[in-house]
Amino acid sequence: MKLKTKIGIFICNCGGTLNNIDFDAVVKKVAELPGITSIKLSSNLCLEEGKKKMLSCIKKENIDRVVVAACSPEFSEHIYREVLEKTGLNGHLLSIANIREQCSWAHEGDVTEKAVELIKMAVNRVRLLQPLEKKEFPVNKEVLVIGGGFSAINTALQLSRVGLRTTLLQQDATLGERTGGLESFYGVDRGTTISAAQADKNIEVLTSAWVEEVGGRVGDFSVSIRKGGREILRKYGAIVVATGYQTKLAVNPAIASSSNIVSQQQFRSMLGDPSLEKEPKSVGFVFDFSDENSRFPTVAALSNALEAKKIWGSEVYVFCKSIKVDSEGIERLYHGARDCGVVFLKCEVPPTVVAENGRVRIEAQDVFIGEDITLTCDVLVAEEVYLPSEKVGTLSSLLSVRTDSRGFLQDENVHLYPVASERKGIFLVGECRGGSDLGRVLTDISSVVMNIHDLLSSGKALVDEERVKADPQKCVACLTCIRVCPHDAIQLIQADNSKEVAGISDLACYACGVCAAICPAKAIKFQGYRDEEILAQIETFGESLDGRDVAFCCEHSAYHAADLAGKLGLHYPQNLRIIQVPCAGQVDVFHILKAFEMGAAGVLVMGCEEGACHHIAGNTRAKERVRYCNTLLQEVSVDGRSVAMFNLSPNAPYKFVRAVSEISKTTKESGR
Amino acid sequence: MIIAERKPMEEIKQFVAPYKKVLVAGCGTCVTVCWVGGEKEVAMLASQLRLATSSEGKKISVLEATVERQCEKEMVEEIRDKVAEVEAVLSLACGSGVQTMAEMFEDKPVFPAVNTTFIGMPEKDGLWVEMCGACGDCFLDRTGGVCPVVRCAKGLLNGPCGGTRKGGKCEIDPDKDCAWVLIYRRLEKQGRLDLMREYYAPKNHRAVKRPGRVQAIKA
Repeated sequence: MKLKTKIGIFICNCGGTLNNIDFDAVVKKVAELPGITSIKLSSNLCLEEGKKKMLSCIKKENIDRVVVAACSPEFSEHIYREVLEKTGLNGHLLSIANIREQCSWAHEGDVTEKAVELIKMAVNRVRLLQPLEKKEFPVNKEVLVIGGGFSAINTALQLSRVGLRTTLLQQDATLGERTGGLESFYGVDRGTTISAAQADKNIEVLTSAWVEEVGGRVGDFSVSIRKGGREILRKYGAIVVATGYQTKLAVNPAIASSSNIVSQQQFRSMLGDPSLEKEPKSVGFVFDFSDENSRFPTVAALSNALEAKKIWGSEVYVFCKSIKVDSEGIERLYHGARDCGVVFLKCEVPPTVVAENGRVRIEAQDVFIGEDITLTCDVLVAEEVYLPSEKVGTLSSLLSVRTDSRGFLQDENVHLYPVASERKGIFLVGECRGGSDLGRVLTDISSVVMNIHDLLSSGKALVDEERVKADPQKCVACLTCIRVCPHDAIQLIQADNSKEVAGISDLACYACGVCAAICPAKAIKFQGYRDEEILAQIETFGESLDGRDVAFCCEHSAYHAADLAGKLGLHYPQNLRIIQVPCAGQVDVFHILKAFEMGAAGVLVMGCEEGACHHIAGNTRAKERVRYCNTLLQEVSVDGRSVAMFNLSPNAPYKFVRAVSEISKTTKESGR
Repeated sequence: MIIAERKPMEEIKQFVAPYKKVLVAGCGTCVTVCWVGGEKEVAMLASQLRLATSSEGKKISVLEATVERQCEKEMVEEIRDKVAEVEAVLSLACGSGVQTMAEMFEDKPVFPAVNTTFIGMPEKDGLWVEMCGACGDCFLDRTGGVCPVVRCAKGLLNGPCGGTRKGGKCEIDPDKDCAWVLIYRRLEKQGRLDLMREYYAPKNHRAVKRPGRVQAIKA
């Protein structure tokens, strides 16, 4: 039999500033709820004194579950969780009623009734919460670095410096074949780097090798490597991709092979070539037309232009659109080039290049003098297009890491940290994730090394155990979750009775709940957001009255936007009830239908902007589900009630207010 | 695996119209896997029915239950008490499950809430395609493991017909692959293209004598 729960409610009036709530009335009403052991009103709950009182009350009255009615969990959840843990309670047996940002500050006039309802929602939820324990998982301390260029070698060197062993895997026959690109323009000596890597005991170099298969998850990747004719099976805790880039001349293919139309790299070798037959008297540069965002081509073109002037004393003309000097050293290079007599010609349209009589004719429209210019040069250093290296496509599917619209690794999703991929333990460094300059590559390397050090150096990782779990009894191994998991954290495992079921890796899981919302057998339970816990909140409105609008708000976007609306004093209708969810993709069609069943007037599912979901496709799945849910609602003609999907960013409080006001207006007009 | 599709809501509403208390019964095997009759779908249909009747001003009580396999009497037995409480049952199982329920609870109408459509496999997340027609006379040995009986729109044993579209698509539905192109490609990979030259006599459509019965050897 379940023991009776003892719930303690701690209400904070935020230093007596929440004037539109009658706290005495709140205490009185909340006291009527069953199972409440203690209600304490405080004016400074988040400060030392408040926390001390809370702690002693929990201990003295043997409270086993806690509701805090105060400010947004964004500020205080961790504070109260700590207090619970100090008393020996599990920190997850806590539910917060956001009566400041989303109640007192969000509405005009008396909001006592709403505050009471928010506390009731939290109480109903807290009754059902289950403790969540932390567990240590062993992690493999070795790292696989894929790539043989500057960024790959330096990542391996730095990982070695923090004591982590790496395998440096490259397809070329000798280490460092691909160095000498980007970094040579910054005066970095490739020889030192390569010999340092060769001498390093922590670095194992595998040349002429490539990845065949990648299995497992963060902390325990198993990688099959093909080297020569044999297959090597290895285990790694993390994988770093640093496969660099390749370039293609952006000129008419018919003339691309002309010996006097060259790339920056080729021009660089010409400059240092003592056996060059004839020094070019005039050199033309074209760059900056195909990619406006690239720092490296700017550095390369400017330093090459400067060198041509210095070494050969050639006439140098640079055709460009708008040079960006916002990276270290570029402005100095630019001024240096101008001072030496390099001529810059600003054009809006890329110049036309024609090869004639062993020379190159460049026709362009100068926007400053407003005239057509025709120049004939001995050598043209043509514009280059930066492309992902040829193996990126295969790597992307081997690693289950998406590419962006240009084919570079790493999605354009703004919520992914620069070097992180959507899979835990797989990192991306340098040019393989799109245009870059040396500064960025170095920053990438440092952040990856720090990330991996945090993750692996102790040989174990501490994470919540079974926060999201498929019940082996209920799982029918339909593979749905495995196919939809945006982080590739689920695989088939053998359950105790050797039946195959979905196994969610606690270490690789980002706890988004996309799987739980789609599981057709309702086998996946996400602690804190289980059906019971969501429905308990919805059923609270059923007790009061109809006419509530319910907004399922993603904790990464809409929930913050709602908080921000409160902070800015933007008011929205009082009948809105917000249910916080980890991702819009966690909202189950069944929860929405249930909300209508309980009498909700309107339902909103609010997630991140499209293309910016923390869980890659959570918001697009949510959109599909909302559409499906509306079909289901139409089938049973619920007096025109419908659910709407809304995408917004966390800093869009006005958008939030417009959306929730709109739905409230629609529901009111239709008389609900 | 058996694939099914939910019946139109209008039809389901008519089934339950005369009753005040019904049970929505799901099945935890094939129809769960194809997202049509598992615990989640049971909850959604039950919720929909409650909304439908409340918007029409009626009151209906809807119970929910899901058994592991509705085509097994012993497993259906587990929900006998729930069935006893209601006037009618809406089954989300395949035809076999519906009939097992109907046989076990002869005094109660058991309505099918889904149409059982075919035996198939998932092509991608959320899309199932037909693979097998349960004809009782398997032909796959000769066709490189691609069934022309159900995957060719015309069910040709001696294909392809003259209508294959460019890109190996079917003349009847350009979204579907021509089964005979698939067969050709597969046999080509296996070096067995000579099989394409064979002619096959019409198939024995009486291989399974209806109603079918399969007796396993009792060891």
